[in-house]
Amino acid sequence: MTGIPASSSTVRTVLGPVRADTLGAVAVHEALLSVVPGAEHAFDVTIDRAEVFDVIAAALHDFREHGGGTVVDSTGMFHGRDVRLYEALSRATGVHIIASTGMGPEEMLGGYFLTPQTNPPTPWPADKFAGLFTQEVVEGMVVPRLERRAAAGLVVTAADDDGMTATEESLFRGAARTALTTGVPVSIRYGRDAVHDLQVVLDEGLPADRVAVGGLDRRDAIAAAAPAEVARLGAYVALDHVGVDDDDERYASDAERATLVAELIRAGHVERILLSSSSVAVAKGHDAPSVALHHVLSAFVPLLRSGGVRDDDVRRMVVDNPRTLLTVR
Amino acid sequence: MTRAPDIDRLHVPKGSAVPRVNTVLGAVPVDELGIVAIHEHIGYGMPGSELDSRWWKTPEQRYEETVPKLRQFHEYGGGTFVDATGICNGRDIDYYKSLSAKTGVHIVACTGFVGGDTALPHFARASVEYLTEQFVHEITVGIGSTGSRAGVIKVGVSRGGRMTDLDKRIYRAAARAAVRTGVPILTHLAIDPEPAVDIFRQEGLPLDRVLFGHADDGPNAPKTPHAWILEQGGRIGFDTFGYETELEDPPFWARPRRERLQHFISLVDQGHLDSLLASADANCSPLGWPGVKGHTVNYIFEQLIPDLRGAGLDDATITRLFVDNPADFLSIRS
Repeated sequence: MTGIPASSSTVRTVLGPVRADTLGAVAVHEALLSVVPGAEHAFDVTIDRAEVFDVIAAALHDFREHGGGTVVDSTGMFHGRDVRLYEALSRATGVHIIASTGMGPEEMLGGYFLTPQTNPPTPWPADKFAGLFTQEVVEGMVVPRLERRAAAGLVVTAADDDGMTATEESLFRGAARTALTTGVPVSIRYGRDAVHDLQVVLDEGLPADRVAVGGLDRRDAIAAAAPAEVARLGAYVALDHVGVDDDDERYASDAERATLVAELIRAGHVERILLSSSSVAVAKGHDAPSVALHHVLSAFVPLLRSGGVRDDDVRRMVVDNPRTLLTVR
Repeated sequence: MTRAPDIDRLHVPKGSAVPRVNTVLGAVPVDELGIVAIHEHIGYGMPGSELDSRWWKTPEQRYEETVPKLRQFHEYGGGTFVDATGICNGRDIDYYKSLSAKTGVHIVACTGFVGGDTALPHFARASVEYLTEQFVHEITVGIGSTGSRAGVIKVGVSRGGRMTDLDKRIYRAAARAAVRTGVPILTHLAIDPEPAVDIFRQEGLPLDRVLFGHADDGPNAPKTPHAWILEQGGRIGFDTFGYETELEDPPFWARPRRERLQHFISLVDQGHLDSLLASADANCSPLGWPGVKGHTVNYIFEQLIPDLRGAGLDDATITRLFVDNPADFLSIRS
């Protein structure tokens, strides 16, 4: 913990622990380099590191110019995460980068976890996932088969849209156990039922305020009143597709999202709201929404303000709440 | 072992091109292959195992575990090592190139997948057409940025014993790539072969271009319809020789040595010599599992060939098994 008093509240970035009060405005669910597992081997995919760096650096510079301070890369450990690249990007742009451990949904996992070389090929249980993720926080994130670097700042996982699978339940429980052991938060992307998926991690004894539930600006979640219920349970409500409605009709429009934010604030939940865009700076092997990393700050915050959301509430949602969530307990 | 004279089997007419085989260091004339280990691994790991540092080894350890085995293979008279490690299983062409150059062993790399359950999402979601393009590209243009071309196509049956829809898509893409490029197909497992044979027939691939592998291991040999596959014209791989119950810590796919040997000899005695291939499926330095202590590619020389001689096979027969059959199989058909 270089140069930081043990008593300070810290957050784990790719350049090491930093004081939580230096994060500034945080984009809490984004992707810097996003690679569908396997695409790195595809004949029609090239990953030019210098070009990737330029594109991500430009996004980070723009984010900074719009007042952004910290980006959370929520892709986990097996979807293109490149720790050394992120270190260089953070140094070059001055934006804090927090990278994540974890995996999911099941469809995105490698065979090592799903059909191990045992007889029978039983998928990994929660404890083994917890061990793998915990190592990434305690010993550092992996550069596969090479070395460990800085600590992961959070654990991410996700469930299938058709409903949580048995292995996804193991992933969720493993993520919760990692959070309990290490003090980093959990960020989940719910599958079919947000409240159910949240309950799985709470069932492990993890306090709800250590959990962000992502995807709650999906139309089905809003229709089911899941955002308010998640907030009532004490977890963070991540409205993390701000600005993607042009590309993906499963999500609410920004106008509808602004209404939802106002309702949640009126209901007393401002301390539980997180805003992010799930932007993808560089995508390999998949299409990505065209939303910019700075969209929350440059477009959505003005929209909220014009709708009467007070400055201190804006600050809570983009600065204080993510800081509290990401601070290691 | 003593090599039978090669001169009599060479009938290359003047001016015609010699059949070729793609190795990681470039195409070689088939007559240069020598004794072939047809189904081996420099190092195999399930996709995702690279994230688990319990398996990591330094490059020094990797070379230290691997080079002596390949050099020994070379000194025993081994010529060619076919690596059957699929696209997402830790296949590492640049590493293979250095190993080949420094040990003198030809290394043939594969395109394809060990089974649908080792194809990562990018490929698991892909169409037959896309998978075909991937395989053809790796065979005719090169693998990634290495410039090396694949010499065989790997396909296989996922864990569970039945071909999955993804397995079938991969088999069909492999069949199309084999027809287009002339390289052969190696299979991981020969159980549930009816859908595979149907696919190969539909795509117009002669079945002597397919080695139905792992037809000999403990759990799968009893479930593999050897006679049926041979009747269809397929080749049979007894390519897990050495994974035997006599080992100190045998894996679950082990089989008693004598039982496997007798099974193999019985197929030779029934006249199937030309359709048989043998190998050890060993890992020089496993990537994502402990490996099996005491088992190496050199089982072929240290145990198998003496056992075959002991069972009465003569040198000419052994040459057919380890030189001529693999040469015929691996030659790129125009």
